[in-house]
Amino acid sequence: MEAMFQGLGLILDPFNFFLIFCGVLIGVIVGALPGLSSPMAVALLLPFTIGLDPIPAIAMLSALYCAGTFGGSITAILINAPGAPPAVATAFDGYPMAKRGEAGRALGMAAVSSVAGGIFSLIVFLIATPLLAKAALTFRPPEYFALAVFALSMLASISGKSSVRNLIAGAAGVLISTVGIHLTTGVERFTLGLTDLTDGIHFVPVLIGLFAVGELLNQSQALNIAYERITSIVVRLPSRADFLKVKWTILRSSLLGTFIGILPAEGSTVAAIMGYNEAKRWSKNKEEFGHGAIEGIAGPEAANNAAAGGAMVPTLALGIPGSGTTAVILVALIMHGFRPGPYLMNQTPHFIYAIFGAMMIANLMFFVLGLAGAKVFSRITLIPRTLLWPSVFVFSMIGAYSFSSSVFDVWVMLVSGIVGFLMLRHGFGPAPLVMGLILGQLVEESLSQSMIMFDNNWFQFFESPIVVMFFVLTLLGLFGAPLVRFLGKIYNRVKPPERRAAE
Amino acid sequence: MNQDPNDTGVGEGRKKTSVSSLIHWTDFRVTVIILAICGALYTVTTGFEEVAAMLAQNIPPEWFPQLLIWIVVALSLVLPFEHLFLEKGAAEIDKDRSEKIKPMAMITAALLILAVTSILLFGTALAMVLVCIALPLLWGERRAKVLVPYFILFPLAVTLLFTQVLKVYFEPGAFGPAIQ
Repeated sequence: MEAMFQGLGLILDPFNFFLIFCGVLIGVIVGALPGLSSPMAVALLLPFTIGLDPIPAIAMLSALYCAGTFGGSITAILINAPGAPPAVATAFDGYPMAKRGEAGRALGMAAVSSVAGGIFSLIVFLIATPLLAKAALTFRPPEYFALAVFALSMLASISGKSSVRNLIAGAAGVLISTVGIHLTTGVERFTLGLTDLTDGIHFVPVLIGLFAVGELLNQSQALNIAYERITSIVVRLPSRADFLKVKWTILRSSLLGTFIGILPAEGSTVAAIMGYNEAKRWSKNKEEFGHGAIEGIAGPEAANNAAAGGAMVPTLALGIPGSGTTAVILVALIMHGFRPGPYLMNQTPHFIYAIFGAMMIANLMFFVLGLAGAKVFSRITLIPRTLLWPSVFVFSMIGAYSFSSSVFDVWVMLVSGIVGFLMLRHGFGPAPLVMGLILGQLVEESLSQSMIMFDNNWFQFFESPIVVMFFVLTLLGLFGAPLVRFLGKIYNRVKPPERRAAE
Repeated sequence: MNQDPNDTGVGEGRKKTSVSSLIHWTDFRVTVIILAICGALYTVTTGFEEVAAMLAQNIPPEWFPQLLIWIVVALSLVLPFEHLFLEKGAAEIDKDRSEKIKPMAMITAALLILAVTSILLFGTALAMVLVCIALPLLWGERRAKVLVPYFILFPLAVTLLFTQVLKVYFEPGAFGPAIQ
């Protein structure tokens, strides 16, 4: 209890409160701007937090994460251009509503659902993080290895176009993490004789390159895109009838989003799409979906914001990122000298409560900002892209440089950006690569330690029930979905013709 | 079932003949590139310094990278056939690469390389100014009343923020002192 008051007290400090406000404001702006994403914004903001104390720094980044997820819905509804991937599903019904003059109602529902989902997931975060951290205290290297492998296997099912590509990108990320001096033997690996590489490849320049420069090159190919804009917006809260209509949708999506968020690697985009599908599946008015159904906004918005809170659980309790953005937040934690994982909760519990407080305040702030400033935020897209993206590059360049005042890091950022652009073109997303890069060290260290413990006897892995559980989950993560699809196809072939006709 | 004989359903990569339709040719080329990179990296791993088995504790430094390379190789061999298992074929993946990379992207990449090179020559602050002039001009910004304040004020604000507030040392560059 004392830790909770200490943590919340820290967040209520006026300067920290101001930083959270800045995080929310930047988050909503970034979320609203098509092309700019939360992981990119968090990565670009990292260098600014170097001079801050760890708690306000992480609080600001967490606030940005929450607000960025919501911000995407503004432009999804008003200009049919989701500012961020998690808002894609919101545009399906948000834009048709805006076109028929109900932009305010749609924005109001997006704000209410987002806050409801966000607060629900934060309550779960508050309860689940200490429990998970306590359970993880018993983990030894084999359990950590199995957990990291499970997290990497989840890359197969994160949003993206292809599971195989996600897994290749994840493995490539782990491979990149091996650059530098091997901890056990002191041998240089893949350094090509460059002293800059003996420490390994720093996370921050790679993150900035993949998320910001890759997207910049992508945007350079779409300079002539113009958005149709809804101008008459009167934002109002949803009516009582609207609330009654969506209350179960919000609850269902909040549960679903939180659960998906807690799963390693799965993020808000998967949650939003599943939230939309579930809203449609349970709705009595399925035919309205795609034409402006209010449940079509409540479902994805509650789910994507719930996933943001949920994703913080494995990030802080286990040191395993719950999503692309939390992967960047994890890097920020390491940069500020924290060791994410169960010891974080047990040694500095007030830290977890401070993050909880920051995210809770962020949710309330973006609710007010989102409703009061929707019209202003929708105009953010008027910023000429010819000035916006050069500014992004300047921040990328300085961000990568300032991390260790090294031009080599700027080159790493640029090469990562160009490679990320080419990868994206062929369906390899940046998020799996980042996850692999961050988990790489944990995978190698825990595997090496396990092999030393087991005297190179692989079979001893199966003596731990936790390891077996994670390996089973890994197999399900890799082969579960294709197996279900395959069984579904067989079922469709063998079921009686009359039933097939009825369906 | 797609009835349109002209629509292969999977974009340019899939050919219509029965045997070659099993292979997605664009992904086949991607696989070849990945395999070439893996081959090169594997060769590098064989050159890692050798250490005594006792020091390595039975886990030599090349063991883990080589394991990862084999995993990437195995996964990339699936790529040319992946479209057969995807619900929509390769249509969704091909959508992003159906058109060639536009020259603007390549020129932008070249400009970014030039900008980073210019840090060493002219210093960080002037490199920022260069980016703020060249990139908007390249992307079609011609309004002087927008461009001039932008390339003066924005780099100035960023420089002040980083050098004065965040105390980041900015690279002066080879010609930086002379220019200043």
